[in-house]
Parts: sequence; structure tokens; C-alpha cells
Amino acid sequence: MRRNAVVTGIGLITALNPFKDTDKFWEAACSGENAIQRTSLPMLDIDRKWLMAAIDTSLCEGGIQGNAYPENKLHMLAEEALNMAMRDTELQEDVIIGLSLGTVLGNILLKEKRLIQNKIVNSTHMNEKESLSYITSFLQKKYHLTGEGITVSTACSSGTDAIGIAARKIMAGKADAMIAGGVDVLSDFAIIGFHSLQALTEKRVQPFDKNRSGLALGEGAAFIVLEAEEKAVSRGARIYGKVLGYASRADAHHLTGPHRDGRGLADAIHQTLSQAGLTPQNIDYINAHGTGTVYNDLMETKAIKAAFGKAAYDIPISSTKSMLGHSFGAAGVIEAICCLLSMKTNVVHPTINYEEKDPACDLDYVPNNSRQWEVKRSMSLSAGFGGQNAAIVFGET
Amino acid sequence: MKPVLTGMASLRGTDADKIISNLNGYFKEMRFIHDIEKIMIAGIGLLLSDAGIRFPVGNNDIGLYIGVDDAIEDVKDEFFQGIITHGILGASPLLFPFTSPNALAAQASIAFDLRGESITIPLKYSSYCDVIQYAIECVMGGYSRMAVAGMIFSSGSGQENLSAKFSFLEAYRSAAVRRARIYH
Repeated sequence: MRRNAVVTGIGLITALNPFKDTDKFWEAACSGENAIQRTSLPMLDIDRKWLMAAIDTSLCEGGIQGNAYPENKLHMLAEEALNMAMRDTELQEDVIIGLSLGTVLGNILLKEKRLIQNKIVNSTHMNEKESLSYITSFLQKKYHLTGEGITVSTACSSGTDAIGIAARKIMAGKADAMIAGGVDVLSDFAIIGFHSLQALTEKRVQPFDKNRSGLALGEGAAFIVLEAEEKAVSRGARIYGKVLGYASRADAHHLTGPHRDGRGLADAIHQTLSQAGLTPQNIDYINAHGTGTVYNDLMETKAIKAAFGKAAYDIPISSTKSMLGHSFGAAGVIEAICCLLSMKTNVVHPTINYEEKDPACDLDYVPNNSRQWEVKRSMSLSAGFGGQNAAIVFGET
Repeated sequence: MKPVLTGMASLRGTDADKIISNLNGYFKEMRFIHDIEKIMIAGIGLLLSDAGIRFPVGNNDIGLYIGVDDAIEDVKDEFFQGIITHGILGASPLLFPFTSPNALAAQASIAFDLRGESITIPLKYSSYCDVIQYAIECVMGGYSRMAVAGMIFSSGSGQENLSAKFSFLEAYRSAAVRRARIYH
């Protein structure tokens, strides 16, 4: 018999009120604060600044480790967010906990430092800490997470997939408790890479707006603790919500651009609703991938319309990335947490910088101001390079 | 639900060109940037053929569960070396998408029109068994009707040091309905 997986702890470090508690993050998000600023690259000395949402590690008081070196940032953010989630869940020490972690670039700053210093290409000189799965192994060892460990790297869907995989392990009875998270940091590598693809905005991140001109990058770490519902209930844990369904789908279309009709994302939504036994009318809120690029937002709108039909027009949809930029592996988990906090507070955060309606993007994007809204079930969407798509739906218990 | 093995493929990097040439015309034409993509496409093509799956597939029945070791790090090194050497203009927009490990599964999904789940699992601190185990869980859980599970690994740079192995998994009932050969 399939069990239910519930969320009993959350923790996140983002550029909005970093190193403060979850309430402070949510307060800033619902106020529509913009964390995106014009900033220099982390490592390379190039006379140019880009729009990005960077986390100032000097704001971390009594932090895990020194922040003098950029290459420590990934671990620092991950550990701070993980600790926050662990404190929040108050799991007993004897519980075997697994870890499912999404990351796209891992400790890319360590690689950058090595290549800048050594000017070598040969991978045999690679530091083992550059391996994408190293961060998962490190966190497991340091925090005695003795259950199954899995690293997921599905581009910008990594965080959502990490949650989905963890939830499935619990539902199938393979684990009683799993921590699912995502982490990535800003890097010269990614900023210049996206610059070369002409995907970065020079103005503002304006998801779903007629004049949207691209995305900004961000960074962060976010974790949720998932438990088998009966175990969580028996120990009297606070429950944020239940994973009702999750699906991953490939566009099978293009390496960098989404399928123009949102075929893969629509199928992921459809499958997720089907698993959850829900109809489109049962969804009260959608946290969109909402990057602010011309093609993503158009594709996403088409996918939502294809999957939800007429109900699409009645569901508030917002983009967390309008405030935080795109934090790769962390994004899906941060946005899942926004879904859970919407359910907890009955408030949906806004899509900021929204000015002019795009006739092709004609849904309710919660422009500029948060909204009081009863949210019993919420869905988070992710899409990424390689035609990755993922959808996850949470519901009240 | 009992999962069964209905296809297997194991190959070395040096086999890839010949296999791709034999498969040409049966999958979507694409340009290969690195040898690692070639072995991926050759391996999946070989596997689908062995499992008796016609391609292009064109539906979401088959999920891709792919383990990738540090071979992908060479591509990242190459991309960033361009930036170190030539500044911003040294960043290759052609190379950048291939620095993401899921680019390999993406290439396979495009080549064979596989529209099901697509999960890439970086290895080294995880194993091939973890990939297979998750694929089996997805088949048993009914999330994927069939699954391609496998990995690519390298023992050094160059095509000759690349190898790959893939398995095709599905529920016994599915295999029986389509009269597939069952290995195990």
C-alpha cells in the first residue's frame, strides 16, 4: 500500500533576508522585495557588472564556517539551510534519514579557482570536491544522514525532482524520512555562459510581462524534511503539507529552448494531477517557473492552459524568480517552500516588475502585490535545459 | 508488480561511431560535440533495438534514468578555459549547454523522441546500482511504464576510455503483452 509523504520541516537561505528565519523570508517575498542588483562576478576580474541576486555571506552571524573564500560558499549555504530545516522538524536522533539533493553546478567556484590558478584543462587534476555528488556525500557524513543518498542534476528542474524522488522513496516504503533540497551558487561560469546565450536581462526581471527581456541569476540553498505521514502524526510533528503528486517529463525537442507549445510541461502537470486524483479546479495556486525569458513564459502559459483548460484563468500564478532570480538547483525547492507557506498563511506572493500585459500571456500572474487567498492545494512548476520539466503538487493533510 | 529485464547494451567509446552509422536514418539527425554524446546515443539506440522498441518512440511510456560520472567535468573545464584565455568572448554558446550533465539524457530524448521521465544522477558518490534501483522503483510505482537505466563512465580522456552500459526494464505484464524477450 502506498504511504503518504508529508513535509515537517523547511529551511532556506536566499538573497531575501538571508540567514534569518523562514518568516522573515516570507515577509520579504510577500512584500515584493527585489533582491536583484547589478553586481561584479565572484572570481574573475572583468570590468562589467550583471544583474543577479547574490547572498552576502557576511550577514551570517556565528555561521558554520569562515566565508573568506568564495569556494566555501556552496557548503556554507547548504549547511545553514539544512540546519534550519533540521531545527524546524525536530526529528529524533535515532531516525534514519536519507538525502536527495539537486544541484546543477555543485562546487563550481572551486573548479574556477583551480583553473584560474593552474591554467590546466586535464581532468585528472580535478579536485574530488568538484564532483557534483560530493556535496551530498559531505552533508550525509557531517550530519549523520545514514539513509539513502542521491544527487539529482536535471538542470533547472533539479530541486523539484529531488523532492519528487524523496517523496516517492517514502511513498514506496523505502524510507521513513528523507531530506530533499537544492543548492547552487552564483559563478562566473554560469553568468558568462547565460550571457553567451543572450538569456540575461539588462533591465529588470519581468516574468510574463509584454516587455520581458530575460532572466537574472541567483543563488541559494533550500531543504524540506519529508516523513511518512503516520510517523509524523504519531510524534505530533507540525505538518506543512502533503506531497499529492509529482511527475517529470522530457520535451524531446531542443537542448536549450523549450517546446514551443509547452508539450512536456503540460504532460507533467497532467500526470501530476492524475496521480493526485485531482481536477484542474482543485488547484488553488501555481508557483510558476517564470524566468522572465520570452520563450519560457510563453511556453509555460501555453502549458498551463493546455493542462488546466478554462480553470487556468481562475488560478493565481506567481514567479518567485521575479524577486530572487534563477538559483538553479535551489530554485525548485525554494518555490516548493513558497507553495507550502502559501498554504500555511493563505497569502500568495506577487510577481514583481509586472507592467504591461502580454496578449499571449493572459493569465492571473498576481501582479506586484501579494494577495490573501485560500490555498488548500498548490502546484510548483520547473523547466530547464535539455527540455526538462517537472511538476509537484502539495495539499493540506 | 514484478520488474523484468528485456534489453541490455554494453559498449566502449570506440564502438560508438560504427553503431551510430548503422542507426543513421532511424533517429533524429544531430551534431555531436563530444565523444560522450556519441556513446550515449549509440548505447540507447543499441538498447532500444535489443528490447524490440521501435524508434522514434513519440510517447511518454519510457523513462530515462542515467548515471554520469566525472566525464562531464572535462566539458566544463573546456568551457571555462575558453573564458580564462579569451575573456567573455571566449565563452562558447555551443559548448555551454553541454556542461550540464542532463544534456546527455536530453540528447537521447531528442534523438529517439522519448517523452517520459528524464532523471540524471551524478555518480562517484552514488553508484550504478542506485540508478538501477530508482528506475525499478519508478516502474514498480507505475510512474514509468518502461525504463532505460544506465551509466556512462570514463577511465581517462579520449573516446577509447569511455564505456557505457544500459538496461531496459519494465513490468512483467508489459513485457508479456508486447511479447518481449525476458533476460531476467
